[in-house]
Amino acid sequence: MASREKELSKLTQTSDPPGGQLAQVAERLIYPFLHGEPPKPQTPTGFYTDTTVCIGCKACEVACKQWNQLPSDGFEWSGNSYDNTTELSASTWRHVKFIEQFADLPSGNGVSLNTTPGESILNRWLMMSDHCKHCLAAPCNQACPTGAIIHNEFENVYIQADICNGCSCCVAACPFGVITRSDMGGHSHKCTLCYDRQRDGLEPACAKACPTQSIHFGPIDEIRENARKRVEELHRRGVPQAYLYGDAASETYSEMHSFYLLVDRPSVYGLPDEPFNPWLHMMGDYARSIVGGLAAIVALFIALFLLRP
Amino acid sequence: MHASTTSQHALTQPRLPGEVKEVGYESMTVTKVPDWYGMIAWDALLNGMATGLFMAAAVSELAAPAVFKPVAKVAYPVALVLLLVDLTMLVFDLGDPLRFHHMLRVFKPYSPMSVGTWCLTIFSLPLTAAAGLSVLALLGFDFEWARILAVIAALPFGFGSAAYKGVLLSTNAQPGWKDARWLGGYLTNSALLMGCGELLVLSAVMGNTQATDILRTAFIVLLLLNLIPLGLLFANLQLAHARLYTPAQQWRVGLLLFATGVLIPLSLTLLSGGLVFIFVAIIFLLLASWSIRFVYIKIPHTSPLALRSG
Repeated sequence: MASREKELSKLTQTSDPPGGQLAQVAERLIYPFLHGEPPKPQTPTGFYTDTTVCIGCKACEVACKQWNQLPSDGFEWSGNSYDNTTELSASTWRHVKFIEQFADLPSGNGVSLNTTPGESILNRWLMMSDHCKHCLAAPCNQACPTGAIIHNEFENVYIQADICNGCSCCVAACPFGVITRSDMGGHSHKCTLCYDRQRDGLEPACAKACPTQSIHFGPIDEIRENARKRVEELHRRGVPQAYLYGDAASETYSEMHSFYLLVDRPSVYGLPDEPFNPWLHMMGDYARSIVGGLAAIVALFIALFLLRP
Repeated sequence: MHASTTSQHALTQPRLPGEVKEVGYESMTVTKVPDWYGMIAWDALLNGMATGLFMAAAVSELAAPAVFKPVAKVAYPVALVLLLVDLTMLVFDLGDPLRFHHMLRVFKPYSPMSVGTWCLTIFSLPLTAAAGLSVLALLGFDFEWARILAVIAALPFGFGSAAYKGVLLSTNAQPGWKDARWLGGYLTNSALLMGCGELLVLSAVMGNTQATDILRTAFIVLLLLNLIPLGLLFANLQLAHARLYTPAQQWRVGLLLFATGVLIPLSLTLLSGGLVFIFVAIIFLLLASWSIRFVYIKIPHTSPLALRSG
């Protein structure tokens, strides 16, 4: 989107208003204040990513880049398994992570990173296709001062690229490190959950491309139900550590419309173990801010009042 | 190639950069650092200087008009200039500065940036009026009632403009920043302290000895009072500082800031009410205030765990 935005911004559009520079300036000033008719709410949708069947093929990354016309990030060997994408960014909205857990420790004592003492070593690969969590109470949305970040009619978190002014509040707010500001254009970008495809009744490009059905897309209630059944099935089949991450709200974080089936601690996958919504502190922080200021005003006022002639 | 074989949470037991080749994701910071650097430290300082000077002048004028009216009439235009410089910095810190007005298309009470933008915008209007009318009064065209009305109208929004900044920089997911519960309390309190100091300098420059004497005492009171939120903020950031600096470094920086921001201004103000002493004292205070803001802004950038975030 970032490169397309740059290219298209230079072209004259048929929708461009007639007139000279003054008209363009006026258009630029007025345009953001014109609020359109919001679309009718649709069935909420989301992703459920079953990491146990991910094979790390990165077809989702490629499909995402291709459909959304995202530029290449170049190529560098990261040294971190097969993960040379390294992170989500304004131009990378899907990121396949690779975790290698094998027992050839020098001591050979059979204790591995992600197992508690006494637990058997699994000797396994973990792979996970990461993306925006589309949180129900999204900190990025709460932080955004322009109204660029919205929950669209599918209850997905969506950045309106023509409104964002690149203040970076969303970058600071996201506890998952999903959003970054693009160097090209200076605006924030992230996964749209293929909003354009959804509006045309299509599933997102990544889910369409996934050859193992690790990425499930659909009505959120339906995929949540399927995910819970899958967890039960895995428990029956001898994978007791399987659980869902983000499918339900916790005390400190809302439910997510993109949730995961994991078989190890969240931090192993680069996810926060206990995600925390910073907005839970906001009222207290405001109160302390006001107390700090009022204390100074009262002190100043008393000093002036007592010392005045 | 293998995943790290020790259980390690990213925010509790960081490795030093270069110590071990990074594999796996456990030792990586999850969050991304926004592109907020030195300009934001300057913004936080100028915001405090502008709003603090206005509030100190307004409170002084309203409490003892006979003494403070002349210095307040100079303070309002100075506050406006400081605010304009600050707003310019805020605009240029955006990814797309030409879209700065997009901030005004909505009002979101739960977005500290939105609250701050609206407070600053509204504050700038009566402040401009107060500053303009003050200049007119100095030129002999005195509209006293209108000026006082503008000052009273600007007060709540000036306070809001000072109060939002700390909440903006603490209500987020960044390492260190998210723990700074008293940042807002410190910044708002510090704004009044700096404002009182600036007003003290102005009154000394104008040779208003009565105002200077009163403000000197008030400044000392505020300087000591500011130690409370500053101490609470440092307590909030203890864990973050321990991650970044050795105990020796923390002591050195802490003592330096204490000497620059408290001991020297306090000693100089107690020593003499002369212009030079007051001026140097306030310069040291501003230097320390900027340093504290800069050190704070640096926290997520300098975290050894934030290296991958860029």
